[in-house]
Amino acid sequence: MTMPFLSIDWTLVVQLINTGILFLLLSKFLFKPVKAMIDSREAEVSKMYEDASAAKEQADRLQAEYAASISGAKEEANQIVKDAQKRAQMRSDEILTDAQTKASAMMTKAEEEIAREKKKAVNEIKDEISDLAVMIATKVVGKDLNTQDHEQLIQEFIDGAGDLSWKE
Amino acid sequence: MNITGPKVIFTIPVLGGIPISETVVNSWIVMAILVIGSMLLTRNLQKVPKGAQVLVEKVVETLYSFVESTMGKDKVFFAPYIGTLFLFSFFSNMLGLFGLRAPTADINTTACWAFIEFMLVQIFSIKRKGVIGRIKGLCDPPIVTPLNLISEFSTPVSMAFRHFGNIAAGLIITTLLYGALTGLTHMVFGANFQIPILAIGLPAVLSVYFDLFTAFMQAFIISMLTMVFTSMAMD
Repeated sequence: MTMPFLSIDWTLVVQLINTGILFLLLSKFLFKPVKAMIDSREAEVSKMYEDASAAKEQADRLQAEYAASISGAKEEANQIVKDAQKRAQMRSDEILTDAQTKASAMMTKAEEEIAREKKKAVNEIKDEISDLAVMIATKVVGKDLNTQDHEQLIQEFIDGAGDLSWKE
Repeated sequence: MNITGPKVIFTIPVLGGIPISETVVNSWIVMAILVIGSMLLTRNLQKVPKGAQVLVEKVVETLYSFVESTMGKDKVFFAPYIGTLFLFSFFSNMLGLFGLRAPTADINTTACWAFIEFMLVQIFSIKRKGVIGRIKGLCDPPIVTPLNLISEFSTPVSMAFRHFGNIAAGLIITTLLYGALTGLTHMVFGANFQIPILAIGLPAVLSVYFDLFTAFMQAFIISMLTMVFTSMAMD
């Protein structure tokens, strides 16, 4: 028994069911798994590329950071050295000035001392000379001069003489 | 040597008897080949493809990109159906190579796919544009509304007949050719010469055209038309 060569019959309905079944089976066993595999691989590859570019970005950033920090450190070191030099210079200047001040003060003091000693010596000498003069005059004159009355006179004489002699 | 419709293999005794013809049984053979083949090929998918997986992935990738370029990115979900249609049609058409009657040499099979195309157009255009948008689309210049309505139905009908006609014509011509060459053998070598020696060679060459080239062309055309008409109705 054969069907007519050209007729629409039950076969159409059966073929609809067949096509539906084939669609479901091929979707399940062919298209979905293969597509999922392709998509997951694609996602993985693009993720790898993304990761790589992110890592590169980070590396670049770190490198820039390091370069910046290194140049900063260099600058800082330079600054420190400069500061230290400046401070040392200042300190040495200070010390020198101090020493000079001290030395000149000591000199002044010494000079003052010398002057005072000299004056003292001169005075002592003057006193001795006046005593000596009075003694000599007493001896020469032979009579007791009124020490009290004439001392001033002698003193004036000695002062004038002393001044003259010291001025030479 | 006579050209008939498909043989009835058996009848399902419901609804007054549903005849299961050669067409349906051969469709099952094609379905079994496709389903078992894809199960075997996708049994052990690897992240790093190897051997047959490369080919399968290439085919599926090509299908998806083809559907995307033809229908648009938003309609790529049609790809599994288009792929099913193409593979079903192509392998059905090629059954002629193995001396089996192609399921697509039966108007019921091609009409079934045309009917699906018709339903896809109606369902998805209404889903996308709404009933009013769909009606508006049909009456765009109001003067051509009747033509649009006719083409809604004539398109699937022509699709069904085009596919059926090509495959059935191949079947008829191949059958006629075998008959003619057998007759020629009998004429040349006498009626008792049982081996149709002249039927060797020429039918094989023609088979390359009818069973391979036409098989591919018709499968491609029906898939392409389904994609184009469905996406046109949706945009």
